[in-house]
Amino acid sequence: MSKFEVRDLDIHKGQTMKIKGQIAGHAQGFSINLGKSSSDLGLHFNPRLNDSVIVCNSKKGDSWGSEERHNHMSFHKGSDIKFSVQLHGDKFEVKLPDGHEISFPNRHGYDKITYMSVEGDFKVTSFKYD
Amino acid sequence: MAGLLVSHLNIKPGQCIGIKGIVPQDCKSFVINIGKDCSNLMLHLNARFDHEGDVNTIVCNSTVAEVWGEEQRETTFPFHQGDGAEICFSFDKSEVTVKLPGGHEFKFPNRQSLDEVNYIAVNGFHAKGLNFD
Repeated sequence: MSKFEVRDLDIHKGQTMKIKGQIAGHAQGFSINLGKSSSDLGLHFNPRLNDSVIVCNSKKGDSWGSEERHNHMSFHKGSDIKFSVQLHGDKFEVKLPDGHEISFPNRHGYDKITYMSVEGDFKVTSFKYD
Repeated sequence: MAGLLVSHLNIKPGQCIGIKGIVPQDCKSFVINIGKDCSNLMLHLNARFDHEGDVNTIVCNSTVAEVWGEEQRETTFPFHQGDGAEICFSFDKSEVTVKLPGGHEFKFPNRQSLDEVNYIAVNGFHAKGLNFD
């Protein structure tokens, strides 16, 4: 399984991270993690293609919080996609490839994101933030 | 310090790595490293506005198991403090091609004949976006 990691990011409250990439043809799922480190995540965003569900969670000191599940699936195997995540004081707002938005609470009250990782069957071709 | 560290990449010869960002207003020098890992750099690019006796010079080098090779200097220097800039890198078995703002281009030997880039580190340059095409 591939794991793509970015450290020393500097995404502030109000800023948006835009990610483009390709979902593998055999994809079962992938996850995008945003936070301070692999142990402290404000948002773990995990589309599970086979189950048609997006699972979101947070992590603090390596301990997972409680999951939130969304049944809106707009990720498809073998497709090129883009989506974005905006950091707010109270929530993360994820804009899915079809324009639908889901939000997840900013449980740790992060005002800055410095870490991102991507795991699973998704290949990042570009990312930018502003 | 403004920076970015990307690991576990899997960039192959012929692909292009683009790094877009802003040169900080007070920048004395910035660094972009690309390679296999932090100890094996295909290219260390150090743009020096005013650093270690160099003025407006790009100093390039490479490392093998943390041991530096021979420096190569470029006098083309299309960077300005406070301005945006995009730098693109592509490589094959024999060399790395670096495209600078304004269409300038130079080459640096791929001394270890690395066939994959897995690591990118940026320091002193405010990277706002990366692409791998």
